[in-house]
Amino acid sequence: MGKLFDPALIIEYAPLILSRLPVTLLIVFWAIVGGSVLGTLLALARIHKVPFLNGAAVFFISFVRGTPILIQMFIVYYGLPLLLMYFGINITRWAKLNFVLVSYALNNAAFLAEIIRSAILSVPASQSEAAWSVGLSASQTFRRIILPQAFRTAFPAFGARVINAMQDTALAFTLGILDILGQAQAIGIRTYHTLEGYVVTAIIFIVASLLMEHTFAFIERRRLAR
Amino acid sequence: MISVKNVHKTFGKNEVLKGVDIDVKRGEVVVILGPSGSGKTTLLRCINFLEKADEGELNIGDISVHFRHATRQEILRVRRRTAMVFQSYNLFNNKNAIENVMEGLVTARKIPKGEAYETAKKELDKVGLSDKYNAWPSQLSGGQQQRVAIARAVALNPDVILFDEPTSALDPELVGEVLSVMKSVAREGITMLVVTHEMSFARDIADRVIFMDEGAIVEEGLPRDIFTRPKERRTKQFLDRILLKDEYVKDDYAI
Repeated sequence: MGKLFDPALIIEYAPLILSRLPVTLLIVFWAIVGGSVLGTLLALARIHKVPFLNGAAVFFISFVRGTPILIQMFIVYYGLPLLLMYFGINITRWAKLNFVLVSYALNNAAFLAEIIRSAILSVPASQSEAAWSVGLSASQTFRRIILPQAFRTAFPAFGARVINAMQDTALAFTLGILDILGQAQAIGIRTYHTLEGYVVTAIIFIVASLLMEHTFAFIERRRLAR
Repeated sequence: MISVKNVHKTFGKNEVLKGVDIDVKRGEVVVILGPSGSGKTTLLRCINFLEKADEGELNIGDISVHFRHATRQEILRVRRRTAMVFQSYNLFNNKNAIENVMEGLVTARKIPKGEAYETAKKELDKVGLSDKYNAWPSQLSGGQQQRVAIARAVALNPDVILFDEPTSALDPELVGEVLSVMKSVAREGITMLVVTHEMSFARDIADRVIFMDEGAIVEEGLPRDIFTRPKERRTKQFLDRILLKDEYVKDDYAI
């Protein structure tokens, strides 16, 4: 069986595991894009206290924040097909990855909704009044004046959420997704060398997190400094 | 040109406007004076629908709306015929000086960008900010910000510009530059409805002065009549208080 921990295997496994990085990044990408769109809608429902939707948003956000993402993923995986069946939509043949993308988007929507909501509320009402006074409509005011200023406020927290979202992807392998962790797991089962693969994924996570962190900090300094 | 009739507004139990009528002719400069809490600012905000009046009518050009029943479309039409200069400037923080002036032209009035840029440049030049086109609001002094705000209002070529205490938030040494810009706007023949505590502006520039107290108009007339021989006791008391303060200030500086 050889050594329990063979550093040479780290080098050997690295390319195999790294080749699955696009899957991890794909999950992060759709989690953030889907989460931002849905999160903005949730934030608007809460800010404008839209009947029913406001209550639904509050419930959804506290549900997501109060349960582990693993459970959310299982609920989506087993529950969503049943739910959509009622509406005559059959998704039982969906790829597993789609369920992962949906769960991570929903999860991030809840966190991003709160970030977006507080950022929107931090823009003074006088900015809207000025926009209305020059004849902008409500939606023009939101898109051209409020959202850009809210984005600036939200940016640091948004960056932190992206990095969190990447680390959260580490549970996707439980549905059998071959992302970097899924690949490390698969190698471990095949070769009985589990630890080496995990070391590789740890290194990938750290490097990717640092890269993102520095990129966000750079953007903040360069583009958003006023 | 612009008239409001019978404006009523209540905040909770507090009746702020108790049936105000104002009629402003084209090109006229009307100054509203009055102690704080007299409803002057609320009146301006009602005209622009930043507050929803409970009662009353608004006529501006050919538009005629009832304050309480105005639809979203009507409110937008009124706002596209008026402009407002705020006490705390309210420049768009995500836009530089020239973009602040262009925003209403491009987004609300659908004027092509190039044309709007030329208009904005011209208006910023007129308020003496030809070297500040690309400055962010945070890089400008209060007086400069307010001048951008005036350029933003004038560029829209509105039927009336509403000035809500435009110099009240400024450091004393910056009041002069804003007042002189307002004077040149008045000289261009732009219709102005101004709430201010600047007596010199009211005396020298206004065509008419309206004195408000406790949510109603107490008296109105030519500035020289109001200032030299007010008919109402409340007007006289207010002017004495304000002018006395001005005298004190002058005396202080005279030494």
